[in-house]
Amino acid sequence: MAAAQKKRAERVLSFRMRIGLTLILVMLLLLGGRLFHVQGLDPAGNAEAAVSERLRSVPLPAHRGDILDSEGRVLATSVNRYDLVVDQAVVEDFERSDEATGLREEVTVRTGIAELGEVLDRSTEELTERIVGESRYSVVARSLTPEQSEQALEIGLPGLYAEPVSERSYPSGAVAGSIIGFMGADGPLEGIEAAQDEALSGIDGERIYEVGGDGVRIPVATYEELPAEDGQDVRLTVDQDLQWFAQESIAKKANQYNAAWGNATVLDLTTGEILAMADSETVDPAEPGETDELFRRPLALTQDFEPGSTGKAITFAMALEEGTLNPTDGFTVDNRYEVDGQTISDATRHPTLDMTAAGIFARSYNTGTVMIGGEIPEETRYDYMRRVGLGEPLDIGLGTEANSVLRPPEEWDARQHLTTQFGQGYTTSVLHNLQAFQTMTNGGVDVPLRLIDAYVDADGTEHPVQTEPGERVFSEETSEEMLRMFEGVVDYGTGTEAAVSGYRVGGKSGIAEAAGAGGGFDGHTQSFIGMAPLDDPQYLVSVTVHRPEGYWRDWEVTDTFREIMSYVLSSYDQAPSGAKSDAYDGFEGENQDQPW
Amino acid sequence: MSAEAQPLAPAPRGPLARSRSIPGGAEDAASARTSPMLRALPKLRQRQKGLIGGIIALLALALTIVLAVNIHMANSQYTVVELQNQHLALVQSNQALTEEVQHLQSPQALSNTAVGLGMVMPAEAAALELSDGEVIGTAEAADSGDRPSSFVAAPAVPGADAAAPLNVSESVTGAPSGILGAGALNTLIETPSGQNGQETSAGTQDQFSPTELNGGTIPAPSFD
Repeated sequence: MAAAQKKRAERVLSFRMRIGLTLILVMLLLLGGRLFHVQGLDPAGNAEAAVSERLRSVPLPAHRGDILDSEGRVLATSVNRYDLVVDQAVVEDFERSDEATGLREEVTVRTGIAELGEVLDRSTEELTERIVGESRYSVVARSLTPEQSEQALEIGLPGLYAEPVSERSYPSGAVAGSIIGFMGADGPLEGIEAAQDEALSGIDGERIYEVGGDGVRIPVATYEELPAEDGQDVRLTVDQDLQWFAQESIAKKANQYNAAWGNATVLDLTTGEILAMADSETVDPAEPGETDELFRRPLALTQDFEPGSTGKAITFAMALEEGTLNPTDGFTVDNRYEVDGQTISDATRHPTLDMTAAGIFARSYNTGTVMIGGEIPEETRYDYMRRVGLGEPLDIGLGTEANSVLRPPEEWDARQHLTTQFGQGYTTSVLHNLQAFQTMTNGGVDVPLRLIDAYVDADGTEHPVQTEPGERVFSEETSEEMLRMFEGVVDYGTGTEAAVSGYRVGGKSGIAEAAGAGGGFDGHTQSFIGMAPLDDPQYLVSVTVHRPEGYWRDWEVTDTFREIMSYVLSSYDQAPSGAKSDAYDGFEGENQDQPW
Repeated sequence: MSAEAQPLAPAPRGPLARSRSIPGGAEDAASARTSPMLRALPKLRQRQKGLIGGIIALLALALTIVLAVNIHMANSQYTVVELQNQHLALVQSNQALTEEVQHLQSPQALSNTAVGLGMVMPAEAAALELSDGEVIGTAEAADSGDRPSSFVAAPAVPGADAAAPLNVSESVTGAPSGILGAGALNTLIETPSGQNGQETSAGTQDQFSPTELNGGTIPAPSFD
């Protein structure tokens, strides 16, 4: 009986249990279904939303490359600076411990701001305006050095904090400023900074990881790192010290004559490397707005002008090359010369002289030059001028091309076939002039000018800029003869002031009339381009002063040339040879001392 | 299970119910009948004791481990922040010194320093040819008043805004002794360069933004 009762009780029990179990199972199924719905199917995209909520992507900024001079000295670099930012809602009176006594002291916001004003060298009013208010983010001061920002934070003003920023620094200031260029708020604006931005800036990296609710990284979750590729350093051919010296020299000269601008450029004539490109005024890349717009880019590139008598060198070189002239050929030169109904006159009223071609060149007589150039057909002359680089843009990797305007002979007016022989009727930039002189002095081989020496990777690997092979324009013999003619200019011609004691120096002076805005000539361009040492020409120095004030016979740029050339020769270890001049005689007969 | 289930059964009936309510010999008989079911309990209880003890010990151990890990992490985080600050301070002082060197290397600063030392522009130099003893060129004495021009503005001293105003008496004591004229004058005119950056404190710098701190005093562990 007991067994039956037990059996019955068990049946009841198992029945109830089954109900319970079914209930549990149903609930489990519901939950399971829901779980599958949420996790497996995820129609609302919750999993993705959760991951993106957890995922943090931090950019790893690439380090911007430096700009270096030829010796590796830093012209532009990136430094860490701090922007001082305040959360105005948090600013209030605060407590801090006095350094001397160790006691707590109450500090009002006003006192805090006054102390900050002392650290930052700003007025209290200005700072109050930026610190007191409702804004959650207000910039108090930009680009502070770490030291300054530390001092500012030590005051302890609540809500004040420092945000790190990367800033461009130019340790040498305005030295080579127009070449380096400068940065604007949104990126590079001028010069190497802009033209070589791709190499300098590198590629930013990225770091991706997941964080938990407390902002701490989940160690086992996604982690990816794309390392930043730092920018390359750009090494220029410019020598910082020489650049500074040239800038000082030309500024002194332009200042002396109150000229519109002056430029001094130094070239290694065997390699075409630009060692210095100095303007009378130069932009400081840190403060570009403070300099006149004219001086924010290199004048040697941006300014083209009529070269004047320096252009005679091309006429003489082509006459020698074409075989129509020997340096010692005799000419009878008056101060006026009539040809094709045009009158060509010289700058001075000299008596009629029996001169050699070298003498005409040394004294820079227009009349004699036209006699020599007239022997060569216009087309041939034009062709030679184009071959030394005139009439086409010249690019040295600075983003700006140097311009030169030379019309073809068909478009020349009645006088232009004469004026182009002595450097009028076409325009050149300083770099065009140097390119032409480089060709004449480098054994007749035209080597392209360049400013960028090499790109240096972050790990120090150097990528030198490939140079194009030079192109021969004149024969070596012509080049030799031209060097002796150039020497005559410094020996007894228009450039005697250019002589550097102990060295053989040559060159060519030029005074050109400068065309005004309304047509016609209303100013002058005074220039001298010279080379040394003539035993084995290495360096070309060009000095140009545009629109000097005063009387033309008083202007002298050869002293600036001598200053710069002396510096170049001694700092580049060129031993003085003391060799005698090898210039041709300037006059026929015994008397070499003729009146001007 | 059945032993425990019995009280749940409906009203107690029959000998089993009676035997439960009657004390004495009848109970002995009843207990004798049910004893095999109950005998298992003490054993079970003993096993449970060990299990519970084990679980508690495990929990305690886990708690200790978690606590230890957390304490270690927190401590490490302080060390990390301290080392980071030290690293930052060193990087910054290194950078400040580099900037100072670059500034002093600039041609303008060199020229100023040279003038401060009483140097002037050179005059013409002569050279001696070693092979034949010939003197090339004529040497001239330099003009003591020929200081280099300064048309090119000196670069801004890094952080110059924060530099203390120039104290002339300090400059005089800083000037090399025994210079007259241009050199001495220059030391008075020119600010001694590199005034800033000399005292780059190695102290820690709390350069953390509120978001980084997230209400705390040091930032949460991160990569930077």
